[in-house]
Parts: sequence; structure tokens; C-alpha cells
Amino acid sequence: MFTRPDRRFYRAAALLLVAAAAFVIATLVIGGGPADAETVEPVAAGTSTATLVIQNVINGLAFGVLLALAAVGLSLIFGTTGLSNFAHGEQVTFGALLTFFLSTNEQVTIPLVPGSFTIGLPLWLAAIIAVIVSGGTGWLQDKLLWNPLRKRRVAVLQQMVVSIGLSLALLNMLQWWMGASRHRLTNASGGRITFGDFYIGTQTLMSVVIASIALLAVALFLLKTRLGRATRAISDNPALAAASGIRVDSIIRLVWVMSAALAGLGGILLALFDNGAGFDSGARILLLMFAAVTLGGLGQAFGALVGALVVGVVSEVSTVVIAPDMRYASALGILIIVLLVRPQGILGTKERVG
Amino acid sequence: MDILINALEQMFTPATAAFAIAAIGLNFHFGLTGLLNMGQAGFMLLGMYGYAISIREGLPMWLALLVAMGAAILFGLLLGWPTLKLRGDYLAIVTIAASEIVRYVGRSNTLVDVTGGSLGIKGKDYKGPLEELSPFPDERLSVGPFTYHGSASDSWWLRVVAWSLVALLLLVFWRLSNSPWGRVLKGIREDEDAVRSLGKNVYWYKMQALIIGGVIGALGGVIWAHGSAVVADAMGRPTTFWVWTILLLGGAATVLGPVVGSVVFWAALSLVRAVAKEFIPESILPSTAIEPFGLMLVGIALILIVVFRPQGILGNKKELAFHA
Repeated sequence: MFTRPDRRFYRAAALLLVAAAAFVIATLVIGGGPADAETVEPVAAGTSTATLVIQNVINGLAFGVLLALAAVGLSLIFGTTGLSNFAHGEQVTFGALLTFFLSTNEQVTIPLVPGSFTIGLPLWLAAIIAVIVSGGTGWLQDKLLWNPLRKRRVAVLQQMVVSIGLSLALLNMLQWWMGASRHRLTNASGGRITFGDFYIGTQTLMSVVIASIALLAVALFLLKTRLGRATRAISDNPALAAASGIRVDSIIRLVWVMSAALAGLGGILLALFDNGAGFDSGARILLLMFAAVTLGGLGQAFGALVGALVVGVVSEVSTVVIAPDMRYASALGILIIVLLVRPQGILGTKERVG
Repeated sequence: MDILINALEQMFTPATAAFAIAAIGLNFHFGLTGLLNMGQAGFMLLGMYGYAISIREGLPMWLALLVAMGAAILFGLLLGWPTLKLRGDYLAIVTIAASEIVRYVGRSNTLVDVTGGSLGIKGKDYKGPLEELSPFPDERLSVGPFTYHGSASDSWWLRVVAWSLVALLLLVFWRLSNSPWGRVLKGIREDEDAVRSLGKNVYWYKMQALIIGGVIGALGGVIWAHGSAVVADAMGRPTTFWVWTILLLGGAATVLGPVVGSVVFWAALSLVRAVAKEFIPESILPSTAIEPFGLMLVGIALILIVVFRPQGILGNKKELAFHA
């Protein structure tokens, strides 16, 4: 299912650009709704709707890239195993909270271990360790849970309900560990870069650059390496891949490690973008990740990127017209509309899906 | 001893009945038809809003109930229309997304005059009509170790109404699941293509199941609202997952499964909390951690049920409802 970007890709991308432009123009025309005054980061009062929309597009693209990084693992796992993993949101949270745990100067605790202590590593080191440990949880999960389930030939839908149970367990474990409050990874305000009427936070810019590099690395891995080719082969046809000598189980193990690590990294960068993370920040964006993956076409690795950019831009730009506390609702609404007209997603091939 | 009485009490609360009703609805979706509705909380929330807002605006109770059910029917049509032709997990993703949209819109400040925003609608705005029907006296009554108010809010009267509704819906489920109509649904669950080749309109049958289950979910929401209040955030994704745990615990596609599941679920959760509070020292498990600790066990229980006993307590292994 992972194809090289070909004509179809460019056609879809062009279509998407036109759609996005139409959306922006439509917002400009309708624009200036009740929410102007209370957007998340209001530009100086008195700016025109056009400026506001473009600023929101910038924020939305940044959010979209980070969302894509968090969601690409969801897409990889779906592609290779057919599982819609509802516990993916908790992997995202885990990366962010572990980074906080390792780098904060506050007292931290571990459940069931009495006493508190401070670790206080530098942020970059904490983040690297958190990504590695996240990958480790992916390995462990596949080793202890998913691989045995596949061996027992448990149906995919049954596995999906298992992942829901896992999500519920992990979410509450995280709350037990870190409490219900939000935690900031860094207190530095970072400042912002302005160009003309628009700006982007330095922290956000750095997060976006790191995320783009990671996404590029994933793309190169899938397209250029033998392991990446093997992964795509399994997505296309697991039985055939096994018959041609690909070790399906080890590749799937690798996919789990990769997607958990990417989710962890995505969580850290989203926490920087969002000024903090709580025990439920991954759960909050789980549906946006599903929307991104489904929009792009379930199981299409590059689809996750396209879908996430759409979700990011739509949710941010919609705040121009509707109240900011409903912006995620608009992204989920887009998901339902796209499924109506193009159920295979933007990049998906036209095949019978029901 | 108090712990046991408390657990016994939990078995028959209006909330337990409300979850049993929502699980009966889900049993139409998943147990009979194999539909993965991950948005049962959305149906419940719509029912609550439809009922509470109608009564607050002065409609009589029977009309408010019709509004609640009508909202669920519309929601079911809207969700089923694009997704029932697609693969099962599409329905799962769309229903969960749609029920979150309902919650986001309900708690949004934009509609604070209608839905009360994130604070919700207060009980006194909508509980009146049902409580006026109560034949019980307007005071606290004790039967054995249990003491509740006769008719107000979390009362004996509400318990009687809620569990009568549960009994009625069980009867409906039992009759419908053994009717020719129910057999077609089971056929769709087992092999959709076979049923289609017999000339049945599979899409329309699935739609009917989705709507009936959703309407029952909305009734569950109304009962729940009478026991506490209408608050959007109480009907988030965890609620849907609890309903699933209850159905799978009791046994999907069985008549009594949802009720057994709900009773066992709430009693066990209460027992776990009480025992954890009583016997694990504060230094190891602080009191703020008891709630997440209990819910973490719910998640683990869900995993174990699905892996080791997917047919639940009452279910029949031959009638497993999981088909890929």
C-alpha cells in the first residue's frame, strides 16, 4: 500500500492545494465571525481577517507537521497489521511526560515507590532518552501483547478492543504517575520570529524543523532501504511477503518500535508547541491523528502527512469563524465529510472498502 | 462489612441501570449485528440534552422523551449514511469522532444559553416532571441497610423507574432477537455477503439496528441524567469504553449480558476502590491515585476478557460476535 509518490500523488496534492485555497478564500469571505477577539494567540487588535487567516494557516501548518509525526506510527501499524491502535495517544503522552520526568527540577515520584527525588537532566538529553525508552515500550508491547495475539490468530477487531482496554489502562496509569495537572517541559519563553505581519515562535520553528527531518528520515527509510521495502511489501500482502523470505514478525516488531519512538518524539515536540503536556494530551489528539490517517487513506504512510496538514490547517483556520473551543470539532467534521465523498482517503487507491 | 454493603448498593443505583440500558443498546449494534459503534456516549449525551432542554423550555415529559429519541434517530441516520457501506473500523472511527463532536459542541461556550456550556444543565431544571409522578412519600426512607429519598433525584422512585425500564428493554431485546428480523441481523453479523445474496437490503437492516440501539442509548442517558446532572464531559470516550467493557463482560449477544455486566462492573469497581483505600497505606497509594488505579484495572480487565473470554460471563463461544 505504500507507493512511491507518482502522478496520482501530485494530482492529489494539487487537488488538496485547490481545496485548501478554496477553504481559505471561503473563510475570508464569510470571515470576521464572533471568535475574532478570542483566538488562541490573538494578533494585535485591529488586524484584518486576511492577516488573521494567514497567521492561522501558519500555526495550522506547524501543528499539522507535528501531528503528522505523531500519527505516522499509527499509519505504519495499520498498514502492516491492520490494527487501529487506540492506545497510540498514550504513547504520545508518554514521550512528553517522560521527558518532563527526566528534565524537571521539581520533585518527582514513581507509583508504588515511596519517596520523591529530582533527576534534572538537560532537556535535549532527557528528550533523547525518552524517545529511546518510548521505542522500548513499543518493543515490549509487541513482544508481550500483540505478537502473542497475532500468533493466536485473534481477529483484528478483537485486537482493536484490546487496544482500547490498553489505552484506558495506560491513560489512568499516566494520571496516577503524573497527577492531573499540566507540566511544562521548559520555562524559557523562546521568543518569536516576525516577518511582516506574521510571526512564528522560535520553539515552534525548531520543533517543526526537527519533525520535518524525522518525517524525511521515515520517508527515506521506507523508499530507499531494504527494511523499508520489506515493510511496504508486508503492507501490500503479508502472505506473499512471508513466502518470499521476508521475516514478517521481525519487521512488525521493528514497525512497533519505530512508531512508538516517533509517537514519543511527536509528543515531546507537541508539548513544546503547546506549552506543556498533561496525562490526557495524547488522548485529546488521538482522534485528530485518526482523522489525519483516515483522510490521507488508511495505511498510506505519506497519506498521514497530507491528512495531518489538512487537519492542522482546518482546525486552526476554523477558529476565525467558530469559537476556539470547537476547533477540533471542525477537523472531525471534515473527516466525516471526506468519508462521504472519498472513503478511501485523499491518497488511497480506489478499492472496495466495505 | 460496610464495604460489602456499599458494593451491594452500587449494584442497584440508577447509574448501574443507565449503563445496563446503554449496553442493551450496544447489544443491538454489536451483539446482534456486529456493528462497532464507538460513540454510544454520544447517543446518551444527545438523549440527555434533548430531554433536559425540552423540559426546561416547558414541554411535557412524554414530548421531551420523544425529542430525546428523535435526536438519537437523527444522529444514527447521519452516522450510518456514510459509513454502513464501508469496512467496520470506519464506522468505529466515525462514531467516536461524531460523539466527540457532540461533546465539544455541548461544552462550548458559544452555546452556553442552550446547553449550559461545560457546567451543564442543573437537575432542578428538568427533574421535576418525573419526580411529581412519584407514589413514594417526600422524605427519606430506609429498607434494611439502605436509605434513600422517596422521590427526589437519586431516589427509590428513580430506582423503580430505571429498573422497570431495564426489564422492559430486556423483553424487547429478547423478542426482537428471536424474531425473523433479529435472525437477519445475526445473519449479517455472521456473513454479510450471504445475507445480501438472499436479496436482503443489508444496508437498511444495519441502519435499523444502529438507530434502535442508539435510541435505547439515549434512554439510558435520560436515566443517567435523572440520577446526577447533564454534564457534557461525563459522556466522553471513557464512558463509551465502559459500556463496551460492561457488554463484553456480561456477554455480547446474550439477553441478560448487559445487566449482569453492569451490576458486576459497578460492584467490582466499588469493591476495588474501597479495598484499596482500606488496606493499601497512604504512602504507597495516595487517595488521589485511587480513582485512576481503579480505572486502570478496568482497562486491564477489558484486555483480559477480550483475550481469554471473549464470550463474557454468559456468552456462548459459538456465538462469538467478533468477526474480522
